[in-house]
Amino acid sequence: MHFSDVGYIALILALGFAIYTGCVAVAGAARNSVLCVASGKRGVLVVAFFLALASAALIASFLSHDFGVSYVAQHSSMAMPWYFTTAAFYGGQEGSLLYWALMLAVFSAIFVLTAKRTAPVLVPYVIATLVAIESFLLIVLITVSNPFARLPVAPRDGVGLNPLLMDTGMLVHPPMLLMGYMSFSIPFAFAVAAMITGKLDSEWLRSIRRWTLAAWSIQTTGLILGAWWAYHVLGWGGYWGWDPVENAALLPWLTATAFLHSTMVQERRGMLKVWNLVLVVASFTLAIFGTFEVRSGIISSVHSFAYSDIGSYFLVFLVIIIVASTLLFLYRLPKLRPEQEFDSPLSREGIFLLNNLLLVGIAFATLWGTIFPLISVALRQQTMTVGPPFYNAVNGPLFLILILAMGVGPLLAWRRTSWRVLGRNLGVPALAAAACAAILPLLGVRDIWANIGFAVCTFSAGAIFYELWRGMRVRHRHGESYAQALIMLFRRYRQRYGGYIVHLGLVMLAVGVIGSHFFQAQQDATLKAGQEMHVGGYTLKYYGNIGETYPGTSSVKSILQVWQGGQYEGFIYPGRVFYQNFNDQPVSIISISTFGLTDLYVFLADWNGASEATIRVFINPLTPLVWYGGALMLLGGIVCWWPERRKVRAVRQSGMAAGAVVQDDKPATAAGLTAKAAGRDDEEEVVV
Amino acid sequence: MKQRRPLLIGMAVAAVVGAIWIVVLLQNPPRQTLDQRARSVAAQLKCPVCQGESVADSPSAIAQQMRGVIRQQLQSGKSEQEVIAYFQARYGEQIVWSPPWQGFSLLAWLAPVGLLLGGAILLFFILRDWRTLSPEEGKSAHQAELAHVDEAELATYRALLEEELADEDPIFARPVSGTGES
Repeated sequence: MHFSDVGYIALILALGFAIYTGCVAVAGAARNSVLCVASGKRGVLVVAFFLALASAALIASFLSHDFGVSYVAQHSSMAMPWYFTTAAFYGGQEGSLLYWALMLAVFSAIFVLTAKRTAPVLVPYVIATLVAIESFLLIVLITVSNPFARLPVAPRDGVGLNPLLMDTGMLVHPPMLLMGYMSFSIPFAFAVAAMITGKLDSEWLRSIRRWTLAAWSIQTTGLILGAWWAYHVLGWGGYWGWDPVENAALLPWLTATAFLHSTMVQERRGMLKVWNLVLVVASFTLAIFGTFEVRSGIISSVHSFAYSDIGSYFLVFLVIIIVASTLLFLYRLPKLRPEQEFDSPLSREGIFLLNNLLLVGIAFATLWGTIFPLISVALRQQTMTVGPPFYNAVNGPLFLILILAMGVGPLLAWRRTSWRVLGRNLGVPALAAAACAAILPLLGVRDIWANIGFAVCTFSAGAIFYELWRGMRVRHRHGESYAQALIMLFRRYRQRYGGYIVHLGLVMLAVGVIGSHFFQAQQDATLKAGQEMHVGGYTLKYYGNIGETYPGTSSVKSILQVWQGGQYEGFIYPGRVFYQNFNDQPVSIISISTFGLTDLYVFLADWNGASEATIRVFINPLTPLVWYGGALMLLGGIVCWWPERRKVRAVRQSGMAAGAVVQDDKPATAAGLTAKAAGRDDEEEVVV
Repeated sequence: MKQRRPLLIGMAVAAVVGAIWIVVLLQNPPRQTLDQRARSVAAQLKCPVCQGESVADSPSAIAQQMRGVIRQQLQSGKSEQEVIAYFQARYGEQIVWSPPWQGFSLLAWLAPVGLLLGGAILLFFILRDWRTLSPEEGKSAHQAELAHVDEAELATYRALLEEELADEDPIFARPVSGTGES
């Protein structure tokens, strides 16, 4: 018996238990049977166990080099180091589906284990939705995309992994993105449960928001890592190419971001319930659409190593999701009325609506650009391309307005703000932005769009810092030192200030994007040993090429010396690696040296013998800020997500009315407490 | 008078910034070097043999050749548009990286813009609807809200709020007076 047999049996058992769990959970909800629901909860754990077993079996097959398994033979070879052999688990389509199913099972198990925080009415439906998705994946895994399928004759050695994937980025980027895609299933399951039961109260909102925040953070990490991988591996000097697959990963992120903002309106004002449900469902649908797009290969992309014939399965699944959610909506719509009126467009909720419009607009433009070539082929048999210039032209200005709104938003109060107060609050950041706009042309920034972009970023960052300063000043007046005040602000109002960290991260990222988009310099040169090239203040002196051979790989590297403004900075070795079985696909070793906030990006384009090479150099100003900003966004996401101590809140019983008149300077306290104090018993009256 | 001041300052700042931007825009004639022009044309063409790379970015031989042709044609006095049209005639429409502003592909541009405008208009009407739901508007509504809460009641609420804040965060336990931040 092989490991692969164990794996296959585990998959079948997992499917069996998943179906059982779904049935028993629905039955438990329908008959109000606690026992059935408890059985369903255990069922989820059993499914997770069998998927873990199947995954372990696949990894064992890889590590024992069992080339009788077709998937192992195609994605690994004897020469690969153990970590790539393990990572090959998700390097191909069957394995990545198994990985996805495993992650879904693990997250479902985490949900079940923390289910006591969720309203009991919702639990069975959440479980049923999750295992329904799980069953779909298992059916695909067992029938068309079986990672454990065996070959009639085992080859002596495997083909090996696609060389583009033999990179440290590969160890982290795909699992993160797949986990991100998957993690949108849990908010979706909550949405389905809420639509079935009609329980959309503040408790539900809190649960779904925490799960969405987790999904958002994972997806953010996946996107940033993907950009980092592209920057380090692909060799065109950029990190984001509006590739259809990148777009597919961005889409659910955009709608989830919109959701995280508009839930605050629902939390505070009881409005936008329908819209929020639409956004959750859209995020999950787009995640599935992304998978469908990657897998079906209907759109050409740099990710073409993942093509296969399971696209049609995902298409059917997509249709089922859309039809089912629409029907549920229509069923639930009459009950989803807003509880409060809208007072003024000049208010926090007003700016959140603008934020949602922009994010959804960006998402639509991106989706539209991605599928437009298909529409063109279908309607007039004419292929066409929609590339980065399109997305930059459409999405660039939208992102700019978004960042501007991001600066104004936190300065607006809920319900309404007078122009006078707003003017007072906006003064400082507006002056900072004006100073930035005035200074930049003196520093030689002549591009109008770059100037506007930087000014807007300055404005937003200024607004955030000003807001922080105001908070600190209030606490300082109460006798805390400024440093202490800052720490306490973050500890007490984690969501609000975590949000500011995310915003600052996004501003930083935007500055990096503007810098690298408008001020990138590029130069190609064919050099003979001893020759030099000069690019934007840097001098590169070429010495020659060296070749190295290892078992399974061979490489060519150029030796270059870098000087910056007359100062010696060291040697760099850009090169290419050839992998056995993939000799026509040499992988680039790109040399990236960071000087302050500028990247010197050197790529070996071509070489001839030992003493001639064609070198392509990019100077990428501010690009490191993209990574720092991304890290900051992740940090902010974690700060927002981090569980709060619940003790203090749980004991509050009084003070319900006070929340309504509280000023926004002290968020989360009074209003948050109101929601808490409303308690379980009368919550339905208050919110639904 | 005092109320108008921030508005005036804001308008002055906006005017200054606008003036700077206009000056930058006017001062920046498209006097680019041949290199920059060639690169901007190459960036608008898709490399015909690559996956998702432009002619400017691709290291492939054909892209290199095309870059040479672009340079040559620009040097011989053709405009950017003419060079792009030349490649479009030879390689077909899909060589252009972004859909042109004409015919069917205009739809690619107009749909997102249309959706945004539609969304904005929809939002406007929804907001108007929601606002007419509330009987009074602006400040008067706020005052009306406070009108039937008498001063004593309000004081209790404030005390309650203080207490609540203090409970959550000990720093507010001290009696607050005249912070101006209420």
